Amino acid sequence: MDGSRGPRWTGLGRLALSRLRTRALRVTRGRTAATAAAVAVTVALLLVVTGVALALADGGVATDDDADVRLVADDGRSLSSVDGVESPRIGDATAGAETIRATEGVDHASPILVETVAVRAGDSRERLLLVGVVPDGENRTVAGLPTGPLGEPAGGDGWRGEAVASAAAADRLGVDEGEAFDVLLGVDELEGVEGLEVAAEPDGADELEGADDRTAPEGHVVTAVADGETPVVLVHLPALGSHSGADDDELAEGILIWGEEEAAVDAATETYPEASTVTADAADPAALVDDGLALATVVVALIVGLSTCSLFVATTAALSVEEDRRTLAILAAVGFPVTSRLAIVTITIAVTSVLGALLGVGLGVAGVVALNAVGTSIATGTVAHAHPFFLPYGIAVALAAGLLAAPYPLTIAARTDVIEELER
Amino acid sequence: MRGDGVPRAVRLFGRSATGGIDDGEPAIRLVDVGHEYAGGGLGAGRERTVTALRGVSVTVDPGEVVGLAGPSGSGKSTILHAVAGLLVPTTGRVELLGTDLRSLSDRGRLRHRRRHVGIVFQRFHLLPSLSARANVALPLVQAGVPRHRRRRRAVALLEEVGLADRVDHLPGELSGGERQRVAIARALSTDPDVIVADEPTGELDSETGEAVLGTLTDVAADRTVAIASHDPGTLAATERTVELRDGRVVSDGR
Repeated sequence: MDGSRGPRWTGLGRLALSRLRTRALRVTRGRTAATAAAVAVTVALLLVVTGVALALADGGVATDDDADVRLVADDGRSLSSVDGVESPRIGDATAGAETIRATEGVDHASPILVETVAVRAGDSRERLLLVGVVPDGENRTVAGLPTGPLGEPAGGDGWRGEAVASAAAADRLGVDEGEAFDVLLGVDELEGVEGLEVAAEPDGADELEGADDRTAPEGHVVTAVADGETPVVLVHLPALGSHSGADDDELAEGILIWGEEEAAVDAATETYPEASTVTADAADPAALVDDGLALATVVVALIVGLSTCSLFVATTAALSVEEDRRTLAILAAVGFPVTSRLAIVTITIAVTSVLGALLGVGLGVAGVVALNAVGTSIATGTVAHAHPFFLPYGIAVALAAGLLAAPYPLTIAARTDVIEELER
Repeated sequence: MRGDGVPRAVRLFGRSATGGIDDGEPAIRLVDVGHEYAGGGLGAGRERTVTALRGVSVTVDPGEVVGLAGPSGSGKSTILHAVAGLLVPTTGRVELLGTDLRSLSDRGRLRHRRRHVGIVFQRFHLLPSLSARANVALPLVQAGVPRHRRRRRAVALLEEVGLADRVDHLPGELSGGERQRVAIARALSTDPDVIVADEPTGELDSETGEAVLGTLTDVAADRTVAIASHDPGTLAATERTVELRDGRVVSDGR
């Protein structure tokens, strides 16, 4: 009276799920909960670390903006002023931004350039993160700072080299609103480079000869100091480009676009077909590939997570099988071959792992939110990103851990002595 | 001894009275069967063994209800395990419905058991996480019977053993007698030709045991039934008793 395989495998799946449900809710609640909880905690921790790595790869404060779409260098037209050291940049950024800006539905588009440079204000000299942007008179947010105080685009009437400093940057430089600072080439990086001479300044600070002609002719004026724990200064793009040399090829890290998302993405893709666009509500997991530290963090977290999770699952599943040997013996007695019995054990492990993963994704997202809350209250703000990718990632990791863990409980299950268990 | 009529539910699969074997062929035949269990190592290559059966030869005809009597350790359960194909005896031959079980692979023996043998255990051996209906339908899962047919047959069998109102109960929610009746229904689910019952009333009080035995013999209809027991009351319900002692047949009521 053997029937077809379809009902058999469906029946085995139903049997495994039915057993799992009853065990979880009515019979051995603790063991099932322990397995799922172990997976959940591991997946949650993995996702929190991945979220931090995602934030690292996403550029930190430099990408703390209110743009609707961010165009970032990928390959093709991307250029690097120092290949292999700096991240890829896009070329012809000013012209590209103008093209995008002219598109219907786009309110504004600005290239963005990020440089760490030496800055001097009076006797104080600091290395700060300068972010160059093209303002449009609107009060937008770039690098966590308002663009409104920058005024009109550089080169226009009345441009004074306006800059907006974070409170941390202003504090380091010892400047306040209305006070000026100069940008210098970083001596530390250039010292020892053949062909360059380092001269001693009267105040003891080292400076390159000829560096004066690389400072902004009129210097920069701090027109506003905004809240911010990261030492960053927002400046006009052409000024920063001239300091760093990025203006030669109109280089920029990317282009920020404000306006209708669809129009902005279309315009960006049309102008830079080989660059990537990231919408405001999504961190880009692909960015992990381009960031060595973030990628290493994710890989290490994945290895540790997989190992820990599979050890948890192997241990708890083996304990469950050990407790459940009589069930396996009964199944054998009523006609279930070893493959069917092992299939039931495997399905049970897989389903428990997926349930744990779902719980873990929820916990992981909650962890990211909690981490950001702490980060906002004591540090620089967002320190981790959640992403829809977390759901399939968490489930895949849990399933992989279950797969790695399965041989141990399956070996125990396969070695069950039917008569011994039935007679016990 | 038998019920007045063959229950409708146990006829769902149209089993023939002889299980498809030739006329005159026994349902069960044990020929000079001996079996030793490994009882643990003693070191230096010596292994202690326990002899469970010594040259046992027994024949059971189709439709016969036979009792295996004897004290604990006399080999009753080992004979039932050998008949069910749960173990392969060390020596001798076990034939079930004309098939020499030794000639079959492990998987072949398992398939043969699934098709032709229903087992009732002393300790019921129901899955605690499944309802009475799911327990009864369990052998049908591996048999590949569609779900709606499994459920229908399980409910019909539970009705036959008087548990129509316990269909969705877990074993833990049933009395000992009810559990054994669920186990009997499970043994009948694949409509087997042979039922082996190992101390089916061993865990029950005498009144409940009698009722369960009545259920077993009623629903067994014209199947071949082998019941191992040391309870005289249980053995009295069989047509013939084979008595064992120290792994040998000491009397056969044939």
